[in-house]
Amino acid sequence: MEELGKIHQLVVTAFGYELRFNLEVISWTWIVIICLLIFGYIAKRNRSIVPGIFQNIGELFIEQFYGLTEDALDKRLARKYAPLICALFMFLLFCNILGIFPHLGEPTSDLNTTLSMGIMGFVIAHYVGIREKGFKAYIKAYFQPIFFMMPLNVIGELSKVISISFRLFGNIMGGDIIVLVVSYLTLSLVLPPFLIGFFFIFIGAIQAFVFTMLTLVYISVQVK
Amino acid sequence: MAIEGAELVKAASLLGAGLAMGLGAIGPGVGEGLVGSKACEAIGKNPGEAGLLTRTMLVGQAVSESTGIYSLVVALLLLFVV
Amino acid sequence: MSFDTATWIQVATFSAGGLAMGFGAIGAALGEGYTAGLANEGLSSRPEKSGDIFKNMLVGQAIAESAAIFALVVAVLLLFLDPGAPYLLKASAVLAAGLSMGFGAIGSGVGAGFPAGQACLGIARQPAVSGTLTTNMLIGSAVCQTPAIFAMVVALLLMFTDFSSMPLAPTWAALLGAGLSTGLAAIGSGAGGGLAAGASCEGIARQPVSVGNVTTTMLVGQAVSQTPAIFGLLISFILIFSAFPESAALSAAMAPLGAGICMGFGGIGPGLGNGLTAEQAVRWVARNLENTGGLTRTMLVGQAVSQSTAIYAMVVSLVLIFVI
Repeated sequence: MEELGKIHQLVVTAFGYELRFNLEVISWTWIVIICLLIFGYIAKRNRSIVPGIFQNIGELFIEQFYGLTEDALDKRLARKYAPLICALFMFLLFCNILGIFPHLGEPTSDLNTTLSMGIMGFVIAHYVGIREKGFKAYIKAYFQPIFFMMPLNVIGELSKVISISFRLFGNIMGGDIIVLVVSYLTLSLVLPPFLIGFFFIFIGAIQAFVFTMLTLVYISVQVK
Repeated sequence: MAIEGAELVKAASLLGAGLAMGLGAIGPGVGEGLVGSKACEAIGKNPGEAGLLTRTMLVGQAVSESTGIYSLVVALLLLFVV
Repeated sequence: MSFDTATWIQVATFSAGGLAMGFGAIGAALGEGYTAGLANEGLSSRPEKSGDIFKNMLVGQAIAESAAIFALVVAVLLLFLDPGAPYLLKASAVLAAGLSMGFGAIGSGVGAGFPAGQACLGIARQPAVSGTLTTNMLIGSAVCQTPAIFAMVVALLLMFTDFSSMPLAPTWAALLGAGLSTGLAAIGSGAGGGLAAGASCEGIARQPVSVGNVTTTMLVGQAVSQTPAIFGLLISFILIFSAFPESAALSAAMAPLGAGICMGFGGIGPGLGNGLTAEQAVRWVARNLENTGGLTRTMLVGQAVSQSTAIYAMVVSLVLIFVI
């Protein structure tokens, strides 16, 4: 059970601050990014009317999320933001199922990854809000329904970042720990593969979808 | 073991923070679930208005979540200010 | 009046055994009663199918019972537990184990009653699909048992892990908090998962062609409803396995205890709310099959938002454990 919570960190001191890098998480994240790049290259290489398997998978992702973005925003904004939504989903999906491979773990089981994704969604949503509605209407939304609700609206807005990132982190980390503890209790007999299938693939896919949908919903709330 | 007043206050504020957030989460959780369930029902009856209904659901949930956020604020005040 | 350590441990194990079985019996009894009630309703509307309905009722009740059986196992283990070399922390650990299992069995017992009852009623309504209904009921109620199984895992860990090297002062509170966190958080998730499963049995009986979509939506909805229980488990494990430095201060003990209570109670509402949302989504998928995608999407967004209070509770718990 000692492996719980053990992280390899690289500590660098620069300008009087201590910078800590979680080396394993960074390398896992890069594995995911390189896999996605290779996948994109292969899917795009031989484009044809009758799609090959990789082109088929790529088109599946893009069609689904393009449709979802068009439903939530509108046609014009969807052209701009659907690639982001689609890429976010694919990144999170690959991250969440990376743990099924031996010696690898999920980058999303580190709060730093999920929090940075959450902050990214937050910044984009507010940028889109200011851009589409104008600064005045954007600020005015915080004083609804009465002006003194402003601090609570701000906290409510910030708590969205917390909730979206801790949801993903808690689910993935919880799955990791359950698999670890059950393997320890049952001496790794029979049960762990099913648990890995359930938590890493099923829950991982659902939570990646939930995260993506919520980012999309936060953007659409700012626009409307 | 004698417990000093300040120590007792600190202990009570920590336990109180836990109780505030824990009990305060029950109501909004059930309430937002009810909103979601009615929204699903309405979309089932009238799929054409799915966009409007989802938006209404989100607004309703955001409002009923405010008591949960009050609990969070009170819990954080108890943790860091008291 | 003072007792030695061995007496305290015995007091704790016996009260823990009583608590585990006493609380653990609540849910299963309610769930089985609900099943029997709906089975009677089904029987009165279609008496010639009494054999099928009766069989299905017994199978459904057997599954609803399993939560109480987990509690029984833990209670019996507690009663005959060999304490080994006595140390005072063991008393707190076994008490926490009893609380975790006792509270944890409530939700799953209640929850497993919904699919069993609705399946009995469904067989009366649509006898041709009784096989499909029984299968769906089994899947649905098996998933409902997950929170009870989480509670049992925590209870067994608390009972059989050796804490003798840990300092007594803050660890007793951490262990109690760990038991309460998983136990209480399992209530909402268990009952919520059951609501979704019940709606799926009802929907299949109404429209048998919808079985594929309904089962998928049910599983997705239940998986999201389990999230608060998973958060409870996460906090429990952190509380059990992190080494708290020794401190006689009361506040050092109240922080981990508060963290456990916070996550435990905080998981109840969102688990139940997620179940309510999933219930209606599954019900309307069965009635309105071509709209499955839209309903699943709205269900996921609605559930995710209603989960946020459980996440605030988790954040407050983590702050209590790591920051304070």
